[in-house]
Amino acid sequence: MTTLKYILRDTWRLLFHHWVLGLLTMITAGVMLWILGITTLLSINIENILSQLESELVVQAYLVKDNTLDVEAIARKIQGLPQVYSMKVFSPSDSLAKLQTRMGSQSRALEMIGDNPIPWNFEIHVHSARDVEPLVESLKTMPEVEDVVYAGLVVRRISALSRISSRVALIMFILSVVITALVVYNTIHISLYSRREEIGIMYLVGATRSYIATPFVLQGTLLALFGAAAATAGIIAAYFPGIGLLQENMPLLHSSLITDQTTILRFCGLLAGFGATLGWVCSYLVVVRFINSITKPE
Amino acid sequence: MNINFSGVSKIFEPDIAALIDINLNIEQGEFVYVIGQTGSGKSTLLRLITRELLPSRGVVAVGDFDLRRMRKVDIPYYRRDVGLVAQDFKLIPTLTVYENIAFVMEAMSVPKRIVADRTKDVINQVGLWRRRGMRPAQLSGGEQQRVAIARALANSPSLFIADEPTGNLDFRTATEVMKILLAINAAGVTVVMSTHNQAIVNSSRQRVVELENGRLVRDERGGSYSR
Repeated sequence: MTTLKYILRDTWRLLFHHWVLGLLTMITAGVMLWILGITTLLSINIENILSQLESELVVQAYLVKDNTLDVEAIARKIQGLPQVYSMKVFSPSDSLAKLQTRMGSQSRALEMIGDNPIPWNFEIHVHSARDVEPLVESLKTMPEVEDVVYAGLVVRRISALSRISSRVALIMFILSVVITALVVYNTIHISLYSRREEIGIMYLVGATRSYIATPFVLQGTLLALFGAAAATAGIIAAYFPGIGLLQENMPLLHSSLITDQTTILRFCGLLAGFGATLGWVCSYLVVVRFINSITKPE
Repeated sequence: MNINFSGVSKIFEPDIAALIDINLNIEQGEFVYVIGQTGSGKSTLLRLITRELLPSRGVVAVGDFDLRRMRKVDIPYYRRDVGLVAQDFKLIPTLTVYENIAFVMEAMSVPKRIVADRTKDVINQVGLWRRRGMRPAQLSGGEQQRVAIARALANSPSLFIADEPTGNLDFRTATEVMKILLAINAAGVTVVMSTHNQAIVNSSRQRVVELENGRLVRDERGGSYSR
């Protein structure tokens, strides 16, 4: 308990020793973590929207008109393809009834065609938009399949958007982590360097390495934590008005967006924890390295 | 705490021999002057005892510790039993006299009340209580040296290492510092002190160890500065 009191006192002193540098570190960490948080939320929302669109994506496969076809075997074969999430089988009569229902009052036009022209067909749902193209390729190689109908352009755009969104999120994550880590690392290094003589003396008169190191590690952790706290406040301040604006202008997206306050607060808690952990790891690494170098006997 | 040097050499890179084949035994409670010209190896010998340096060859043993084989975690505990006074004082410039002394005990997790009592004791012992709130830069060389002595005394060490503690002081102040060191020794603490000061060595007639170009050339009990 006594040691903890001394360590906390020294941490407090360190925070104010280079207060301008500390403030700059907090601001940089805060801005980078805010960007990280907003990008992540944006990416999650985009993924949600894309998932909603993907769940509505259907590939329709029509078989050749041949009464000798073993439809059950073909269905099993298609069901076995890795891209298939679920599948419905429609007989020619089911398909015609469905079409008649859809056409409503104009369904009498179908009677003029004579025999039912619709073959056996499958309505296939995929796992993700990226699965559509490979699935279509596989279906087209099957001799029993006469035609495949799908929204090709939509699929390509959704896939591209999904890829871009994931990549942007990943790049922002790496950038934020690297920049925050470097800033915390440098601040603690400067703090250590400016007190190198003091550290050497402390070690020489019997202070343990952990006693010397802990205030510096806590300094880095707290700076990153304060930055993360500011970032979460900024996220809360920016996210809800932004989402409100989006809902007003694009009501169709309503169900895909994260609007639950508890979820956002949990996310902010995670972000603050992540910031503090990042600060702890960086300061621990620099402190251990520095203290090792100056306490090593010649 | 007794000290034993057995065949100790210290060679600095690239090939500078600071100490060559030193064999020396210092018993608990002795007062030893280490003398010799500048560059003779006095400071190297003392820094081997504080484990700021490791020997290139041979064994330095202090108490139960073989300093080369000592584990990293044991070093601070060993140093708490070694009071160190350096020529350049090694005081922390941002701390006051009081804080410079107190932090040695704080590092050992000594409760605040005991730290306060003990700090007051040792500051009084070196006669600086009225200067307790000042920073090292506001003190004279002699006062800074007395603060360094007070700090070294704070943990009641059983070994006291003083590297030219009177080197920067006038004769009167140096004599005051010596009185303190002799009083510490009288309390049973082993004192090893390097010095150039002939008058001081000759005035108290203790054991004298003389180094010349890194070699031990004289080890005389009750000796004087000159051979």
